[in-house]
Amino acid sequence: MSIIDLMFQETDPDKIRQEAEANYKEYVNPFALRMLKNASLDIIEDKREGASVWDISGKKYIDCVTGAGIFNVGRRNPEVVEVLKKALDKYDMGSWISLFRERGLLAKKLAQITPGDLKFSLFCCGGGEAIEVAIKLARAHTDRTEILCMENGYHGVTGFALPATGRDVYKTPFLPLVPGYRHIPFNTLQAAEAAVNENTAAILLEPIQGEGGIIPADDDYLRGLRRLCDEKNILLIFDEVQTGFGRTGKMFAAEHSGVAPDIMVLAKSLSGGLYPLSCAVFTEEISDFLTAHPFIIINSFGGTSLACLVALAAIEFIEKNNLPRNAAERGAQFKTGLQALQQKYPELIIDIRGKGLMLGVEFPEESIGPRMAYQLKKNGVISIYTFNNPRIIRIMPSLVITKEEVQTVLEAFDHSLAEIRNQEARFKR
Amino acid sequence: MADSEEIMEALLDFQNQCNENKRLRRMQRDWTKLLHYVATDTGDVFTMRVVSGETTEVKKGKEGVPDVIVETDSETLCDMFWGDINPTQKYLKGEIKVKASQEDVMRIDAITAVIWPEV
Repeated sequence: MSIIDLMFQETDPDKIRQEAEANYKEYVNPFALRMLKNASLDIIEDKREGASVWDISGKKYIDCVTGAGIFNVGRRNPEVVEVLKKALDKYDMGSWISLFRERGLLAKKLAQITPGDLKFSLFCCGGGEAIEVAIKLARAHTDRTEILCMENGYHGVTGFALPATGRDVYKTPFLPLVPGYRHIPFNTLQAAEAAVNENTAAILLEPIQGEGGIIPADDDYLRGLRRLCDEKNILLIFDEVQTGFGRTGKMFAAEHSGVAPDIMVLAKSLSGGLYPLSCAVFTEEISDFLTAHPFIIINSFGGTSLACLVALAAIEFIEKNNLPRNAAERGAQFKTGLQALQQKYPELIIDIRGKGLMLGVEFPEESIGPRMAYQLKKNGVISIYTFNNPRIIRIMPSLVITKEEVQTVLEAFDHSLAEIRNQEARFKR
Repeated sequence: MADSEEIMEALLDFQNQCNENKRLRRMQRDWTKLLHYVATDTGDVFTMRVVSGETTEVKKGKEGVPDVIVETDSETLCDMFWGDINPTQKYLKGEIKVKASQEDVMRIDAITAVIWPEV
């Protein structure tokens, strides 16, 4: 029997687990396997539907991580799956050097739905790659080199993106990095004003810091940055990799403040959860550099036929079903429920924040984040702490989550917090 | 309940295991930390100093400002140093309390994983 036949025909959960663990241990990363097992997050996903996944033994979980915002349209959205199936009947990825009808259609759609004068798109596969494009364009467009980025920000771990990520633990083993990046405090306009100089090309930030602990930028701060960038001819780059496509209750988080960036970076949910895709969307003025150098930034797998069709289907689904509104309503339901839990467990929850369905719950110490994730999984909810700040558990479910499913997650939080309270009491005795 | 001599014996053995493992020493060469281990039932405290992956010192008593504080009962401390338990599982179940960054918690688990891969 071929490996593929075995993959689809084997149904014994024990055999599947045994094989997966053995191969992880020998050929993938034994310590990653150990960490996943320790945290009880060694779920082998089987069925995926809506806001939920089922493991190979049939246990259902509500997915409140969604790969940090990949599955806005739900797991294995049937309408998007149908488009991919139809596309596969006719197309492959397409040769990158050809002219793609669907790439043009997607770029046009993105120009229509993104704020301000954003118009041209350059496609890649992952968020980090699209950040690299944004930084290269900023340097090339301005003839300056310095990129101001935020402490505790996260923009990926690839070449030009890694130095922008605001945490040394990701960078130190790989020094020296691409030079010309400076980190400033987030949400402090004076820090940005003090940091800009004649060599500043761009200010790069997430409108809501994701891995930094779900920290929204103040609207006035973003407006201040826009003013500052306009005065000094500096580009403003928004990383909307996690916040884009309805996640925060608007199509893009930039809309909350009414600030349009010069470059917007999109990824994760652009993929429809089915086919990798990312892009940098930028103004016509910035595109001049690419007019002079049309093939200076290329990507074999960026903006393929299949990816663009899937992205178009995902955006259509988000618009047709008004997912930003559902994110706002379900997010409000979450906040109300979590605030009630904060009243019940005041010693454990010190803050609840975020917008729409990009929420963070902050605990008083780092160990509680991982322990809560462990308890939540036992209670049927997949969640994880934010990587730059383990005191915060993120709540980022699919935007198709229902009122009833939100209630189920809140009940799981209640049970998990009760267990953590018992654990803390045992230590105090 | 384990007395302080038993804990110290286990801790010294743990130090030897760490220092004799070349793979571990190389893996942890960028890790310099001061750790305190607290036995919650007996009140004993032990200090361990790791410099560039080498455990240079273990002693009874509290010394310096720790980067990592591990708290649990004396038996569990011994079990941890002898490699009889998976400390991260105990940590996630709230049976071992660790005051440290999550990176340091993972580094401590990595030590156990290298010395006792089957635990």
